[in-house]
Amino acid sequence: MIFALVLREARARFGERRFGAFWVLVEPMCHLLLLSVIFSMIRGKTITGIEYPVFVLVAVAPFLLYRNTILRLMDSPRENRSLFGYKQIKPLDTFIARVLVEACLAATVYAILVAGFAWFGFDMSITRPLEWAATLALGLTLALALGVLLALLAHALPGSKTIIRMLFFPLYFMSGVFIPASYLPHSLLPYLLYNPFLHLFELIRGEVFPYYIPLSGVSAGYVVRVTLCLLFLALGIYRARRLHLVSSKNG
Amino acid sequence: MFELRNVTKSYLTPNGRRYIFRDLSLTIPPGKNIGLIGRNGAGKSTLMRLLGGADIPDSGVIATDQSISWPVGLTGGFQGSMSGRDNVKFVCRVYGASGESMREKLKFVEEFAEIGTWIDEPIKTYSSGMRSRLAFGLSMAFDFDYYLIDEVMSVGDGHFKKKCGEVFEERLQKSKVVLVSHSMGDIKKLCDIVLHVHKDGITVYEDIDEGIAAYHA
Repeated sequence: MIFALVLREARARFGERRFGAFWVLVEPMCHLLLLSVIFSMIRGKTITGIEYPVFVLVAVAPFLLYRNTILRLMDSPRENRSLFGYKQIKPLDTFIARVLVEACLAATVYAILVAGFAWFGFDMSITRPLEWAATLALGLTLALALGVLLALLAHALPGSKTIIRMLFFPLYFMSGVFIPASYLPHSLLPYLLYNPFLHLFELIRGEVFPYYIPLSGVSAGYVVRVTLCLLFLALGIYRARRLHLVSSKNG
Repeated sequence: MFELRNVTKSYLTPNGRRYIFRDLSLTIPPGKNIGLIGRNGAGKSTLMRLLGGADIPDSGVIATDQSISWPVGLTGGFQGSMSGRDNVKFVCRVYGASGESMREKLKFVEEFAEIGTWIDEPIKTYSSGMRSRLAFGLSMAFDFDYYLIDEVMSVGDGHFKKKCGEVFEERLQKSKVVLVSHSMGDIKKLCDIVLHVHKDGITVYEDIDEGIAAYHA
């Protein structure tokens, strides 16, 4: 079932435009390339001894993955509503299918970019690949939980979508995507450290670069706890609200 | 056999909650073709969706031991940018038909819908008639104990209607229907039991003519 939904979702994504498959891959690639090139022009070539484009790519790629996952999950109930006419399909299935498609796309794009960067002589090796993959997966779980929560919120209050979209912009900066977290204002750090994404990107950098030292106070345990809480909350509310999501005449 | 126990169903509208059924309990005996009649907005389609499991009651239980189709001719579930063939494959996968049986169903739908090479075009380019042909063919490709039909006995041109009628006749040898219709002719022809859906609930009539009389009253 999930497999069927994944295929359908991927087909729908690729079929949106002419050369759909091409654009689905090239669009985020351009996004990532532009960001890393522009910021490296502003900031100079290296940061804490790491080549800047690589530094940015390593964090921006997962950031975009998480953001897209969350936003697409938020739209999922409305876009997939007609599917619930087939009683086997539950909203949770469509959520999971969406996350899988999103993750596969992001992985493909990232792989292509890494290959491209390596071609031009950047050092793209990952120091601790297993931990890195685990952190990425943890982030994806967090995104799933958050996305489901927001989908439920957006379903109950359709007007909230715009605000949620806007909130992602400051998140860009608050999560230390472009700069090491230690460059953030120190007086604000205790508050900024409530943001699990900040922890995630610091962890990711620490795992990719051999000599990068994550900000003190960053811990995987915190992210795991937040993720578990959110996941629990999301699934609990989902359980209570699932009938509303399915029903064609609500919202 | 369907059993409804204390079923309540409401919809949340901008003006508050609207109750369609309140604390409804009834039993429909096995092996009957079921007709649902009632005024527009009385809750016929909702009841049909509840019976089929496509919608879920607020409280209460709907129990059945039969396999039930999705609403026959459901076109809303199609993904517009995917081809007809891919949409059919999708439903096959959801209903667990893979490999040989998926090929069989695809062939059946292709032949039944008679839309030729259009089957490989995206659904959004179809005319509404072609869409309903595909949807009807898709429903007929699967074997269910009960088919849910919501006033779609009349899709397409004369030739296609005749074909639908024939396939249906054949299906009715083994399967049963839940039919929502305003055409008393269809109800009389196909159904063995009618459920009159009205604002105070549902009355079951084992005698068709009696039910139709109540509807007209």
